[in-house]
Amino acid sequence: MKKVLEGSQAVAEAVRLAKVQVISAYPITPQTHIVELLSDYVTTGKMNAKYLRVESEHSCMAALIGAQSAGVRTFTATCSQGLALMHELLHWASGARLPIVMGEVNRALAPGWNIWSDQTDSLAQRDTGWMQIYCEDSQEVLDSTIMAYRLAERVNLPAMVVLDAFFLSHTYEPVDVPEQEEVDRFLPPYNPVFILDPKHPYSLSPLVTPNAYLEMRHDIALAMEDALAIFDEVEGEFARILGRRYGMVEEIDCDDADIVFVTSGTVTSTARLALEELRARGEKVGALKIKLFRPFPVEAVRRVLGKARKVIVVDRNFSFGASGIFAQEVRAALCNSPGHPPVFGYIAGLGGRDITTQMLSNIYFEVKKSEAPRRESVWVGLQEVNRAT
Amino acid sequence: METPTALQNILYMPRTSTTTESNKTGSWRFLRPRYEEKTSPCSVACPAGEDIARIEMLITQGAFKEAWETILLENPLPGVCGRVCYHPCEGRCNRREFDAAVAIHTMERFLADAAARNETKPALPLQPATGRRIAIIGSGPAGLSAAWFLNILGYETEIFEAMPAAGGMLRWGIPAYRLPEAVLNAEIARIEAQGVRIRTGEAVSATRFEEMLKSYDALFIGCGYWRDRPLDIPGAAGPGVEDGISFLREIRGGVKRDVPGVSAVIGGGNTAIDVARSIVRRGGKAVIVYRRRREDMPAFTEEVQSAGEEGVEIRELLAPVRIDAAGGDCVLTLQPMAIAGQDRDGRGKIVAAADAPVMITVQRIFTATGAGAAAPWHTPPVPGAPEAIRGLSHCVLVQDDRGAPVVYGGDLTTADKNVTQAIASGKQAALALDILFRHGAGAMRDRLASCLVGGGPSLSLEIYLNGPRRERNAHIVAYEEINADYFQYEPRVVQPRLLIEERHSSFDEIDLKISAHTAMREAGRCFNCGICNGCDNCYLFCPDVSILRSRDMTDRHIDYDYCKGCGLCVVECPRNAMTLDEEGTP
Repeated sequence: MKKVLEGSQAVAEAVRLAKVQVISAYPITPQTHIVELLSDYVTTGKMNAKYLRVESEHSCMAALIGAQSAGVRTFTATCSQGLALMHELLHWASGARLPIVMGEVNRALAPGWNIWSDQTDSLAQRDTGWMQIYCEDSQEVLDSTIMAYRLAERVNLPAMVVLDAFFLSHTYEPVDVPEQEEVDRFLPPYNPVFILDPKHPYSLSPLVTPNAYLEMRHDIALAMEDALAIFDEVEGEFARILGRRYGMVEEIDCDDADIVFVTSGTVTSTARLALEELRARGEKVGALKIKLFRPFPVEAVRRVLGKARKVIVVDRNFSFGASGIFAQEVRAALCNSPGHPPVFGYIAGLGGRDITTQMLSNIYFEVKKSEAPRRESVWVGLQEVNRAT
Repeated sequence: METPTALQNILYMPRTSTTTESNKTGSWRFLRPRYEEKTSPCSVACPAGEDIARIEMLITQGAFKEAWETILLENPLPGVCGRVCYHPCEGRCNRREFDAAVAIHTMERFLADAAARNETKPALPLQPATGRRIAIIGSGPAGLSAAWFLNILGYETEIFEAMPAAGGMLRWGIPAYRLPEAVLNAEIARIEAQGVRIRTGEAVSATRFEEMLKSYDALFIGCGYWRDRPLDIPGAAGPGVEDGISFLREIRGGVKRDVPGVSAVIGGGNTAIDVARSIVRRGGKAVIVYRRRREDMPAFTEEVQSAGEEGVEIRELLAPVRIDAAGGDCVLTLQPMAIAGQDRDGRGKIVAAADAPVMITVQRIFTATGAGAAAPWHTPPVPGAPEAIRGLSHCVLVQDDRGAPVVYGGDLTTADKNVTQAIASGKQAALALDILFRHGAGAMRDRLASCLVGGGPSLSLEIYLNGPRRERNAHIVAYEEINADYFQYEPRVVQPRLLIEERHSSFDEIDLKISAHTAMREAGRCFNCGICNGCDNCYLFCPDVSILRSRDMTDRHIDYDYCKGCGLCVVECPRNAMTLDEEGTP
């Protein structure tokens, strides 16, 4: 049924449809709408779940690790400082092979205190062993959250579904909300590989010596590879029942493109508009939307970008002392392919500043006339500032 | 696509069925938590030393009988005190810092009423009979209290009462609208049922007293202050001038005399207020004339307030100078007074103001300016002079060659003359005599000191009998030591009362009953300062599962093999019933 929903509400609807059994969260803007709605669903009986109010995000993830270990499906949502506070336990969740799903609203980290969109919070957690799925619109948010459960529970790894603050979390769009029966057909009840059971007590995750740790980590690496392998299968199943699929990457006008933008999140929608304008002027330009960031779809990226003459990566994030994080990943994916195109890194829209079609168009023409990148990262739209003396 | 390998779904996961108990993490500890109950400020403020924090806890659990018995161990008259005590406990209640004090006196009254209604028989730790007989002269609160505690301690007790019924001031002095007769009768009946013998209508003369010194093992004199202290001004003995105590006694005795017109009441104590409010109920108008200010009145503030509600007029800073008869009326001449500095007791010091005297014409005048002992032998000898006279905080103990030891108590010896102090003095007398008989006079000071609640001055029988309360630290819990995060604002119970109009025409009790539900809710407001109420925060918060509970959940202790000393239990204890010490602290 079509409904007009905020991105946040789309997450909550998906969690309801996924029949999550334990929800725990600590409120933080701009994520709060998600768990507000969920707590409402729990209180009014629309969901048969336990909602655990906790005093911090660290406790929240600890609670979910406990709950998921006991064999139930769980959910949380957070962003920015909250996600950073969870960091220690993010490692634990993946190391303990618990398929927890999280709604992660991209918000800038402080200071300066900023509640607006910026991907650095989630990207800073890229090495925690969580799968990361970046979404462009509310429909994708809803569908991806449901699919995340299927994927996570197949490979026993946690997953975060990532959406931009406000541009997506607080924007109302028409969303097709599936029927419960359809989702039930796609997503079977959680069938844990192991559970903590007081009748047969044992303790999980005790001391592990150098003799075994390496293999444990290798297993997680393999599980990430598995996730990459079955992502399309999961999407195929979803498409068969619900008629929608997205792909771990999406090629937009890439077939004949000389220059290809690489985007993620809502910037992709801006790029779609910019492409329309540029194509109308005869420019051979395309875009590659990266939806799945962890595991990183190296093969797909190589295949698409390998054909281009130049690649532009627009990053709403930054790794200080290095470069935009998507740019790093793209460069790493391409570097072993002979004759790969140069990668032009652009940093734009940090802390919620708008990224406009005009901005993308300017970047395009700058790259078109450049033979090679002048720097690893070019910061777009920097303004004069008054510095304290 | 590569073959998915980890999808064989045999996860390579570390887990163990070996116990982790071999890892005795307690060795990491440098701070050591322990259960240590402390003293609630209310119990220290209570002259009877009632274990209020525990009483409220028991009410919350619906254990009304046990709560009532907990009172009876320290105070034989909860039905009386729940009504007429000035509840200093509430003045020290830590909850005042949070929202409002717990209505402790209302809870006490509720328990007594519930016990009376259900005809509950208390189970108290009665001590084996000692074979000793003790005579008690006067059946007021001090005498009843002394008899009650001596009886528990195994003494045969006999009360001699001059009046036709027992109770002393409780029966003859306190008006029925504050203390209904049936309530007093029920309390006295319970005391008698426990074995105290009360011989009413048996006045003890000085000669009889001398005889009793030979025939009993000890005597307690609690005859009270019954003789009104007359005004020392011209006309004080004239017509139309009556003493207030007699007026109150007359009403309690059943005399129905109307006092129409305006009556002046001279004085500022509880008797003055009682007289004035009784006048209102007898169809008159009452004007209280007091030489100091309203805030200096020794009467309980709530009583003064109720008097005002009922239409009693209070004229302050007026000292009576003379009384003149004028055609059946009285003309009272009053000297306006002024405040000049402070008296020793902290009240404003008064001096005659320059203003001209004021004259008021009234139909009659009641004096209530203080009372004294009714007979010279009631007055205790001055302590300290001979060795045989021992001054205690609430009593005087005399042991001389006249015969048996004699304890003087109640109004005769207490600094503040009120019911609860009288009860405290009766208890002190009982403990003092028991110590005297069992351990000798030399042990008196230390033994009494060891039974003080939170350092005193109140004494506890439970502590004296080595009950669980003896284990408590005397430290008085301060509000800052309460973890207020665990409490929610909750309005104090509103005591239902008779309408003002109803009070004008009857001596019916003003304060009405509250339901058990209301009592439990009000008791639930109590922080239970310093005592464990089994909330189990320690158990829930311990990250090392080191809080062990007994099978019946009544007892908790710490497993020091695994307690790392993080102190969470101590911090999360809402009521400071736990203590954290550095390891190695003795």
